[in-house]
Amino acid sequence: MSLAVQIEDLNFAHPGSDFPALERISLGISMGESVALLGPSGAGKTTLLTLLDGRLQGWRGRASVLDAPLDPDQPPHRARRPDTGFVFQEYALVERSSVLRNVLNGRLGRMSTLRALFGSPAAHDLKAALAALADCGIADLAERRVDSLSGGQRQRVAIARCLAQEPRLILADEPVSSLDPARAAEVLALLTNAARARGATAMFSSHQPSLARRFARRIIGMSSGRIVFDVPTSELSEDATEDLYRDTEPMPNVALRAVS
Amino acid sequence: MRSRGFGGLATSALVSGAIVWSFMTTDVELSRLLSAGPRIAEFLGRMFPPDPTVMKEIVKGSAETLRIAILGSLGAVILSAPLGILASETMVSPVLYRPVRMLLAFVRAIPLILVAMLMVGAVGLGPLPGIIAVAFHATGMLAKFYAEAIDGVSRAPIAALESAGAGPLVRLRHAVWPQMAPVVVRDTIFRFELNLRESLILGIVGAGGIGFYIQTYVRSFQYDKAASVTLAVVIMVAAIEAINVALRRRFV
Repeated sequence: MSLAVQIEDLNFAHPGSDFPALERISLGISMGESVALLGPSGAGKTTLLTLLDGRLQGWRGRASVLDAPLDPDQPPHRARRPDTGFVFQEYALVERSSVLRNVLNGRLGRMSTLRALFGSPAAHDLKAALAALADCGIADLAERRVDSLSGGQRQRVAIARCLAQEPRLILADEPVSSLDPARAAEVLALLTNAARARGATAMFSSHQPSLARRFARRIIGMSSGRIVFDVPTSELSEDATEDLYRDTEPMPNVALRAVS
Repeated sequence: MRSRGFGGLATSALVSGAIVWSFMTTDVELSRLLSAGPRIAEFLGRMFPPDPTVMKEIVKGSAETLRIAILGSLGAVILSAPLGILASETMVSPVLYRPVRMLLAFVRAIPLILVAMLMVGAVGLGPLPGIIAVAFHATGMLAKFYAEAIDGVSRAPIAALESAGAGPLVRLRHAVWPQMAPVVVRDTIFRFELNLRESLILGIVGAGGIGFYIQTYVRSFQYDKAASVTLAVVIMVAAIEAINVALRRRFV
């Protein structure tokens, strides 16, 4: 069976930093799996997802995505990028453009450069964008400008943009951390259901164990750049998740300074 | 309330000192001020009623001022596009943008009328020196505005488009430009308004436009004609401002 993600002995440190952001990471994720990355801030979740999206260079080790190796020194070829979709924590939308325009931006990698430059999507691009809008329950918002939307609506737009891209691997970096609990569950359900319906592999990071348990079949715990556990959701103990957050050191000098 | 401390005291002393110094070294004579009253009244009286027969000159002069402002603004936009990129923190290294910014600050510091006088000396009378002066002077501000528009662009949507497989040009077109465009349009319209206002007086130094007629009529004591032209200028400025407000509402 082919793997959506395969990583062996991956190491990375941000330029100028002495501490590794990722340390001796090895893991394999099968096609169609839904995986949650769990861990406190600074655990390396965003770094790992960004690296898998091909937007991070200068790492060591081996990594391949959708059966194609990633080059540690240069970004993947443009033609490969649309197969991996990314949902950003803070949406990363063009605020002044319409919802439909933003969702069509997800199609840019699948269009010819000329078509993309002139912003004239082909019929099948438009169809994919409209289908993604409908799947995310925001077809009625198509003409609205993004800066007039709520946080929950914006994240739906961001997910629709990712789905319009027709990715086989969906990477989501804390996609619901800025939403209230009810909205967070709705949006994660939407994301994981859409991935399953498309047969796409989904990998999302979160710092909320309850959400990870509810929406992923497998949970990978990360702390200080390392994988501390990697288990099927049904086998994850409460203790393991508690330890994950207990081990983190409090940030120095920011605790309890008197507010003047 | 917080005490103003030494800094506040020093500022007060400095401001008071500057005012006293100005009074003592300038002949501000109360008697001259008082006797000026009737003369100002007489002056205004001679302006009234404005002479409507200069309509032809007004239209001709206004059209020339408008052309100076349009072509001067166009020149400023053309110069500001590359200079704005060179003055941007996010596009080029400090080695480049720091000196470019200093140059722009220097250009801004030179008054338009001074540039116009130099240009009249260089290329002769007429609208051409006015156009060059406006383009030069406006670039100091417009290029700075463009640089700020570039630096104000959020990086996240650019990363999102890169992730989707969009090339550099496509990212520029669909992630950078939509964020910049409203700011660039707003700032360009604003600068055009300033250019039009400032070029109204360019004629006084022989650099073309409606200012020429004001100067001519005042020098030849035809105050009623000067009044008509001044009135036309006031109406033009008000109209420009109204149009600008309407445009800004539309774009921003």
